[in-house]
Amino acid sequence: MTGPLFGYRVVELAEGVGGPYSAMLMGDAGADVVKVERAEGDRARGWGSKTAGDFGATFLVTNRNKRSVAVNLGTPEGLAAVKKLTDSADIVIVDAGWSDHPDLQPDAIIARNGQAVVLNISEFGHEGPLGDYPPYGELGAQMASEATMSLGVPGQPPVRVGVDIGSMYAGIYGLSATCAALIARDRVGGQRIDVSPFGCLVAMRSTLWAALSNPDEWWGFHLDSYLKPPDNGYHTKDGAVSFTLGRMTREQRDELYKDYDMEWVKDDPMFDLVDTDPGGSGSRYGWKVRPVWEKAFAKFTTAEVIEIGRRHGATTFEKNDYAQMINSPQVQHIGMVTSVEHPGIGPVQQLVPPWDFSDTPAEIRLPAPRLGEHTAEVLTEAGYAASEVASLKSSGVLVGA
Amino acid sequence: MTESATAAGPLAGIRVFDMTLAMVGPWCAMNLGAMGADVIHIEPPTPRQMPGSERPGGGVPPSINGTSIGYISWNMNKRGLTLDMKAQEDRANAYELLKTCDVFLMNMRPDVAGRLGVDYETLSKINPGIVYCTVTGWGQEGPMRELPGADGQINHFTGMSTTNGVEGASEGELYRHSTQMDASTGNYATQAILLALVARKRTGRGQRIDMSMLRATTHLQPGRIGEYLARQTIGPRLGSAAQVVAPDRAFETGDTRQVAVAATSEAEWATFCDVIRKPELKDDPRFATNADRVDHRSELHAILEPVFKEYPLDYWVLQFRRNRLPYGWPMRWDELRYHQQVQDNGYMQLVPSTAPWGDVWTGGPPYRFSKTPERWFTTPQIGEHNDEILRELAEGRGSSTPAPAPTNAREA
Repeated sequence: MTGPLFGYRVVELAEGVGGPYSAMLMGDAGADVVKVERAEGDRARGWGSKTAGDFGATFLVTNRNKRSVAVNLGTPEGLAAVKKLTDSADIVIVDAGWSDHPDLQPDAIIARNGQAVVLNISEFGHEGPLGDYPPYGELGAQMASEATMSLGVPGQPPVRVGVDIGSMYAGIYGLSATCAALIARDRVGGQRIDVSPFGCLVAMRSTLWAALSNPDEWWGFHLDSYLKPPDNGYHTKDGAVSFTLGRMTREQRDELYKDYDMEWVKDDPMFDLVDTDPGGSGSRYGWKVRPVWEKAFAKFTTAEVIEIGRRHGATTFEKNDYAQMINSPQVQHIGMVTSVEHPGIGPVQQLVPPWDFSDTPAEIRLPAPRLGEHTAEVLTEAGYAASEVASLKSSGVLVGA
Repeated sequence: MTESATAAGPLAGIRVFDMTLAMVGPWCAMNLGAMGADVIHIEPPTPRQMPGSERPGGGVPPSINGTSIGYISWNMNKRGLTLDMKAQEDRANAYELLKTCDVFLMNMRPDVAGRLGVDYETLSKINPGIVYCTVTGWGQEGPMRELPGADGQINHFTGMSTTNGVEGASEGELYRHSTQMDASTGNYATQAILLALVARKRTGRGQRIDMSMLRATTHLQPGRIGEYLARQTIGPRLGSAAQVVAPDRAFETGDTRQVAVAATSEAEWATFCDVIRKPELKDDPRFATNADRVDHRSELHAILEPVFKEYPLDYWVLQFRRNRLPYGWPMRWDELRYHQQVQDNGYMQLVPSTAPWGDVWTGGPPYRFSKTPERWFTTPQIGEHNDEILRELAEGRGSSTPAPAPTNAREA
């Protein structure tokens, strides 16, 4: 059995996280992915800490299931090789670091290869005054759409999301759009798809934009609604939990208060707000009563808080760090982590693909490639003679094995 | 940007049975609708009993004229049908409709499908070509399979919230990141469904897809989790700074605003040093490569902090823009909404509606197709298209007929 994209050929002209992540998912889904790199390599190869070892995990976990071809793009022969690869591809991913080359612009690729679905990733969108923004818009895009509105403390410096979600979203939405274009290809041939981290981040906040349209009530971004500050989780005696009352009867709640040793709140009208507040533990109710819950949970262990809460109908879970999450019985049971052997590095643990298909399973076939590891192999497949490859290598046009 | 309202999206001819509630499932199907699929959103005729709320959309506040923004903002690009899956006649109608569908989507706990007669066994017999996708909180297997899961809990359980926050902050001080886990899972489900539709071209059959919020949202954090798995160390909270690149954070400017700047390659670092007029940093061995700069992040930040206080935000934006280096600044809602970049790319739009909630702001769709235009139109009222859909069924109309072309909000 092979993955859903088995038989499709992908050429990746991208760096960093967004384009490479999208291409990796295509590889996970069974496509043959060729990652083309400049002679100096994807900049993400250098991301990470020196003291942590000689590789950055970011690169390893966003580039598996690919073969690497490295070329000197400044030479006519190097450019010709890249064009030749894109001319026979089903899917080409192009980001802002590559699309400024006239021959590698999406429309130029489609002009040569009418069946190509070209995923064009610009940082802030194809149109507009920031249409020429340089590669890597993650920071700027997050600042514009996230930092002041959902993270950070009012009056204090901005806070970004701890993962590169703008780039990730561009890769995720990009793959969906690419599949849709493959479905439409029988009807219309190849076409260009434009996505950007900025546009994706704006789209992902749609709930908030709707909330600002003409709401019946609104208190502002940091006091507004669902699940915000009150749902930051709570410390327990030995850890932390998330906690939501959920839909419970008055009697269930009274029993719950008793078991949490906070029976006195039964008579506090503030605690009745939960009946009229559609946000459950969020919004007005949660914001006001949070200190009371904090004190209550601090007296119990995480296991006790969860046991008592669930017994009475509340929704409560462990609040984990990565170690606790990976070692949780649920994650272990469903087998979310696998080991990938990297030549020269050894086994590297990483997450399995995100989807579970009954008929066309995704799989990890290849570790992240070394720079130019498959240059000769891929170009020979593309029709170059072995002698030609050798001569291009010796003249510095091609790089790697 | 102008396009014909009748031009079909890439998924024209695909029909989706959208038996979803709250956010994850509705969000997923909304994207299929944006790409041209005929998405039929199913609601029960009497309001659902949901944990926390009996209202559609999970009762997520605020409401607009009484309807939760959850229902309004997660069910665009669909037609609305009410079905009581426990009543015989409605279930028969559902099965007739499912014969014409390409995709079945549901996000309820694992045992619900069987109770409502929409388990994979049953539906794949009715329609062997059906792509059947269920989304659960924690997976179809394992000790947590029966537990409810929603955005906040998944955020905390997967460790996502430990990556966000002011440097050195304790957990209680953190502001978490809302609705991204729901929407992200929905996006992975969209992706899985589309992958299966591509595979169907080759195999000729549908298949079953199990998505869980747990598995999807850990995938949203591959770098951080990858670093943990590779080294067994957990990266610290870094405020606005990136974990694996330096410099890459926001700094206070001379006019007490914030400018976000980065140098993501060695070439950019050299330019960066020139732009801030500190060329000597290029020869400083502590900052020789990105890995060195990450390891000496605090020393680097201590040098850079006073530099950015020398000039106002506008100065730095001009300098970084002119030299093609990454830059940005925190925007307020109105600044973002009316930003020329948002306008020119149509990233945010006011979706017109005659429903009680009126016109509603939304982001998206974030993809543009050059030949098969995406679309975006208002959420149906519950059961709004009952007569229309049942009439189509009676006339024997299959999904091969393109979906009706509603008002294209992008053109409005």
